[in-house]
Amino acid sequence: MFRNQYDTDVTTWSPAGRLFQVEYAMEAVKQGSAAIGLRSKTHVVLACVNKANSELSSHQKKIFKVDDHIGVAIAGLTADGRVLSRYMRNECINYSYTYESPLPVGRLVVQLADKAQVCTQRSWKRPYGVGLLVGGLDESGAHLYYNCPSGNYFEYQAFAIGSRSQAAKTYLERKFENFVGSSREELIKDALIATRESLQGEKLRSSVCTVAVVGVGEPFHILDQETVQKLIDEFEIVREDEPPAEPQPPAEQDAPADQGTGADQGAAAASPDVAPMDI
Amino acid sequence: MASNSDLVSDTQRTLYPYVTGTSVVALKYKDGILMAADMGGSYGSTLRYKSIDRLKPIGKHSLLGASGEISDFQEILHYLDELILYDNMWDDGNSLGPKEVHNYLTQVMYNRRNKFNPLWNALVLGGVKNGQKYLGMVNMIGINFEDNHVATGLGNHLTRPILRDEWHENLTFEEGVKLLEKCMRVLLYRDRSAVNKIQISKITEEGATLFPPYSLKTYWEFTAFKNPTVGAEGSW
Repeated sequence: MFRNQYDTDVTTWSPAGRLFQVEYAMEAVKQGSAAIGLRSKTHVVLACVNKANSELSSHQKKIFKVDDHIGVAIAGLTADGRVLSRYMRNECINYSYTYESPLPVGRLVVQLADKAQVCTQRSWKRPYGVGLLVGGLDESGAHLYYNCPSGNYFEYQAFAIGSRSQAAKTYLERKFENFVGSSREELIKDALIATRESLQGEKLRSSVCTVAVVGVGEPFHILDQETVQKLIDEFEIVREDEPPAEPQPPAEQDAPADQGTGADQGAAAASPDVAPMDI
Repeated sequence: MASNSDLVSDTQRTLYPYVTGTSVVALKYKDGILMAADMGGSYGSTLRYKSIDRLKPIGKHSLLGASGEISDFQEILHYLDELILYDNMWDDGNSLGPKEVHNYLTQVMYNRRNKFNPLWNALVLGGVKNGQKYLGMVNMIGINFEDNHVATGLGNHLTRPILRDEWHENLTFEEGVKLLEKCMRVLLYRDRSAVNKIQISKITEEGATLFPPYSLKTYWEFTAFKNPTVGAEGSW
């Protein structure tokens, strides 16, 4: 997409029927660091890659709790994402106040999409430069939606947005058919593996990713670093041991596990694992 | 932002009710909620209107019964119509259940009370959704609560004691109706604004059913009625 004479204004159509400003906003989403979401019948897991600007700084918060039953992961302009999260929280709390009942996530998503659409049809506004993966519950179970700067929204079984999300999407495309019946633990594991795919070679540690879960009977919450690291260790070992010996059955085994963690810790100590400032 | 009621005057506020309905009684039973009310609309002490529907279904899951000012009840129905319409327009498989409608009404009633312009009603809201039975009440000052049986107006004083004694979980439909009839009969005897034309309605998971109105049998053959002045000769 190159600069042209139809891209100055969001209210200018191109002869080909495109709104370039909206498309540029969607580019901003693609530049942000990856966010991944997947759902089963009863749970939704959101995960994202947290890249700090430098070793000295903290990483940006990309997952927000909107209500006990809804959470959102963003990619793109995090400031825009924060503002939209505040809007979502407001809508949820107002609905709860009037009806003493949680706002169905499907309705929140439509309101959000309509809000984004307004910015594509006002000459004095610009589109929000953030893509939102909204995971939440309503009467019919768990749902995952993707809200676009264009004002479109789609429901997904699993999706990934942001930079290098294609790798995660490829992994998810292979596995998504099983997600409906997945247990909570399997879902989180798949989310972590998908996150690892979008790190592309870089080691998956709990300091570079954030994972959050919401489910029937489980309010939305972000998993703490320790829990995430333990989950990573459980399946990371399998990957490390694959090159030497094949006959080892996958997943948790005690003997190789020891070696695995040993290797992990060794590697961790060796590399300057200066965890970015935990704020 | 000066509101209309500030700029105009007291004539824009509800000061007293004109056409009123009397008690509504409701209880939870095995399959849902049973609600009863008579069809009278009193104009002060005159029993002026005798075919007023005071029980109305709301959406798929709820039933609303109202006592108090009938015109305010009609306005509430108008609000709820809009609410249910917008709820249906989402067309997304979610719907407002009785708990949500009750809380919405509570907010409406309380907000009007705060503006010194109340909707002069006591409302009973009952319903079933996803197997959960709900029965609540809200009145013109915003007092609201949920219970296994509720009543408005004189019903609170005359029928709640009966219900406290005789209500139990898992009443059958027939038992529930008999209990409600007992309550309505007491009201018919003792409430001056009661008329002998009652409506019973039920709401279950399948939906609301409004039964046709009928009259209660009453008994007036007490000897004291036949000879009222026995024991007090000369009186009338």
